[in-house]
Amino acid sequence: MAEERKAPATKSGVVKKLQATAAASAYQKQWFAGLLERVKNGEDFGYLNADVPMEILRAMDIPFVVNQWWAAICGAKRMTRKYFGLLRDAGYRDDLCSYCATAFAESLDPDDHNYDEAGKPMGPWGGLPDPTLAITRLTCDCQSKIFELFAMNHGASFYAMENTVPRKVPLNWFEMAPDHWEDLYDKDRLDTAVEELKELIRFLEMKTGKMFDINQLERVMNLINEQESWYKKIRDLIAECHPVPVTVVDTINAVMQAQWQRGTEWAVGHAKGLYEEIKALADKGEAAVPNEKYRLMWIGRGLWHDFAFYQRFEQKYGAVFMWSMYLAMGADAYIRNHVEDDPLRALAARYIGMEDFLHMPPWNNQWFLQQARQNDIDGVVYMIPENCMQAVEGSYFIIKTLEDAGIPVLSFHADPVDPRKWSAETMTGLVEEFIENRVMPVREAKEKEEK
Amino acid sequence: MIVKMGIRECALKSNAFRALYTVYTHRDDTARRWKSEGRKVIGELGCDVPDELIMAGGMLPVRVYADPEKPLVETDKYLEYAFDPVVRAQFEKIVDGTYAELFDALAISNSTDVVIRIFLYLREMHRVEPHKAIPPVEFIDWLFTRNRLHQVRNEHTIALFRKAVEGWAGREITDEEIRAAAKVCNDDRQALREMEKLRSGSEVRISGSEALVIIGSAFFMEREEHARLVREVTRDASEWPVLTGPRVFVTGSDQESTELYDLIEQTGAVVVGEDHNWGDRFFDRDFPMEYTPVRGIVDTYMLREFSSKKAFVSQRVEAIGRWVSRTNAEAVVFYTNRYEEAASWDYPKQKESLEGRGIRTACFAKMQYPVSANEGLSEQIAAFTSAVREVS
Repeated sequence: MAEERKAPATKSGVVKKLQATAAASAYQKQWFAGLLERVKNGEDFGYLNADVPMEILRAMDIPFVVNQWWAAICGAKRMTRKYFGLLRDAGYRDDLCSYCATAFAESLDPDDHNYDEAGKPMGPWGGLPDPTLAITRLTCDCQSKIFELFAMNHGASFYAMENTVPRKVPLNWFEMAPDHWEDLYDKDRLDTAVEELKELIRFLEMKTGKMFDINQLERVMNLINEQESWYKKIRDLIAECHPVPVTVVDTINAVMQAQWQRGTEWAVGHAKGLYEEIKALADKGEAAVPNEKYRLMWIGRGLWHDFAFYQRFEQKYGAVFMWSMYLAMGADAYIRNHVEDDPLRALAARYIGMEDFLHMPPWNNQWFLQQARQNDIDGVVYMIPENCMQAVEGSYFIIKTLEDAGIPVLSFHADPVDPRKWSAETMTGLVEEFIENRVMPVREAKEKEEK
Repeated sequence: MIVKMGIRECALKSNAFRALYTVYTHRDDTARRWKSEGRKVIGELGCDVPDELIMAGGMLPVRVYADPEKPLVETDKYLEYAFDPVVRAQFEKIVDGTYAELFDALAISNSTDVVIRIFLYLREMHRVEPHKAIPPVEFIDWLFTRNRLHQVRNEHTIALFRKAVEGWAGREITDEEIRAAAKVCNDDRQALREMEKLRSGSEVRISGSEALVIIGSAFFMEREEHARLVREVTRDASEWPVLTGPRVFVTGSDQESTELYDLIEQTGAVVVGEDHNWGDRFFDRDFPMEYTPVRGIVDTYMLREFSSKKAFVSQRVEAIGRWVSRTNAEAVVFYTNRYEEAASWDYPKQKESLEGRGIRTACFAKMQYPVSANEGLSEQIAAFTSAVREVS
């Protein structure tokens, strides 16, 4: 353990311990280099919002980049300040939709594909190549507008998929999703989603000249089920471990990066490797934080511009951020068994729920509660995005559900990619105060009760 | 009667205008009368609830509106601050019991993402806090992107809504009843279009503030009576003095009151049109009487001029071009409330397009609600009007 604790800190001060995390990052760079090559050779290239059913493009072997992943890369490369200045200069507001608008802002950067005097690329990873396809879903009013502007700047074809609102909302969606997905949704909603997929397929076939093969989709869906099953095993394993062998600092990056590669052999292999690595640590009884006392849950998007934040409470309090949605969504939201019956319908049953699981009461609050219980959570730190209507998700109901169950919640407003309003000192103070005044007393009371 | 500055003496001398003004300023009176007579009132949140269906069920459709004076005690508890301020103020009246007394049910259309969230929150409140006095809620899940699949889906959605309305009415609603209601609505729209000629034609005789009163009163009264009064006002207005200031078009946030228009028109400009939902967009498209009832409703609400929320940038650029041509506007005021973001993404391209046609623009973004909370706004508007006047 001591050896792993000495793992070198990154530029941002984050200490990552897993090989799988580093492997995912390394693969992403290698994969991106391959993507550049394919684009250079004239292949079509898609730029997708995270809630677009990317499985279709995977099955058709159309390379793509996911908007939120790319925004995270831009955030981690500290490009946001520059990009939002470019937005302002072009007459756009610089305080809106930061997560979704980062790539559009980047498209305004004349230096995106240039090199500085030292020969280093000025854009993140050499800049985003021009996509030929820009696809989004209408899960908020701004989404289509930003994507269309992005498409205009890149000369890409813009395509938008609609979003419908569920009438039927069984509270235990996370239990129903893998095997009973047909009953999880209103039938007519699922029917429409299948038709939406067929229209997307036709659009892609016409644009790229490639044929969609249902057998390839079935293969992709099965690979994804396999990958996500590893995440389920990892999530369940971490939940059982006291102390936990890894924290969100490792799992968020390892899972998020591989999630955008879902439907590939590499992603399955990576997920399996991640499980085996964590299992080995767990078997040895190793602890991510040797003095683990308090288990914290992080609700919200990753804090990409200050990942070290998650580790600031380990030494002083033994407080470990051990849960984030990134791993748990993989475990609970993606698996759709019985693919062979109708791969398109199984895919529809995955993609139409994704936003709702996370952002719609009661699906989100019931899941957070179930997860908090499964993971023996002592306190929840909940980041509410500053300027994103898509992520407005019934914070009152989330907080009430958890607090009513005796789980203290600290909520605050911040932005996942824009560091301009972030004060690490203030936020650290807030969490410290929360741990001292809310988490510790609740834990002590729980321990007394257990004795 | 306390009269706003933007309303002229000539308008107030018109009996019909005064009647509409009374409805506009005492918005709950008709609904209260209906309730006292044992008839049903249905609230509408979002601008795409088909009035035709509610009227066909023998009920009064009434638009939810904000009260800027009301403290947001309940709202602050339930809503994040990223909700736009008008919707926040509307929500207060929905959850504090105000509308529970007035409405038998609340129909919500997904006219904007914020309103979808309001539906989800209200549904959850019904589940976890059933003691709260909140009217029963029904959601209309329109799809506004224009293609065959979504048109078909919308027909299904409206058929579902028709069932819900039948539940409120306590009886089946016939196709004939829907057609009869559609005819009334079309007649009202036609009356408003005739009025519009005096507002945006070559001679402007109806000011923007007066037009907002004439249009907006429709949301709070019987539609036959509204159409009759609009025609009477239009006849009276043909004698009103001509307004000669710079012709301004307003786009962006819904204007539930005449406050912004009063400010603009005080500076000598005249608001000849708007694309928000408390103005011209309300009577943009007729129900095609030759269609079946459900298809007619889908056509009317899905295919009218684009809203600022549910349209792509390119569609909005084209739409504002059409509006400006239709109203012969010389200038466009973009006005968006704080946290009402969607239209902000349209603005730079719309501005570029309009300025290419020689149309002057002014942008007021992140505005406080109500309009009077914005210090220095009247001076900025006055400066803009002067600039437009100089050019013209």
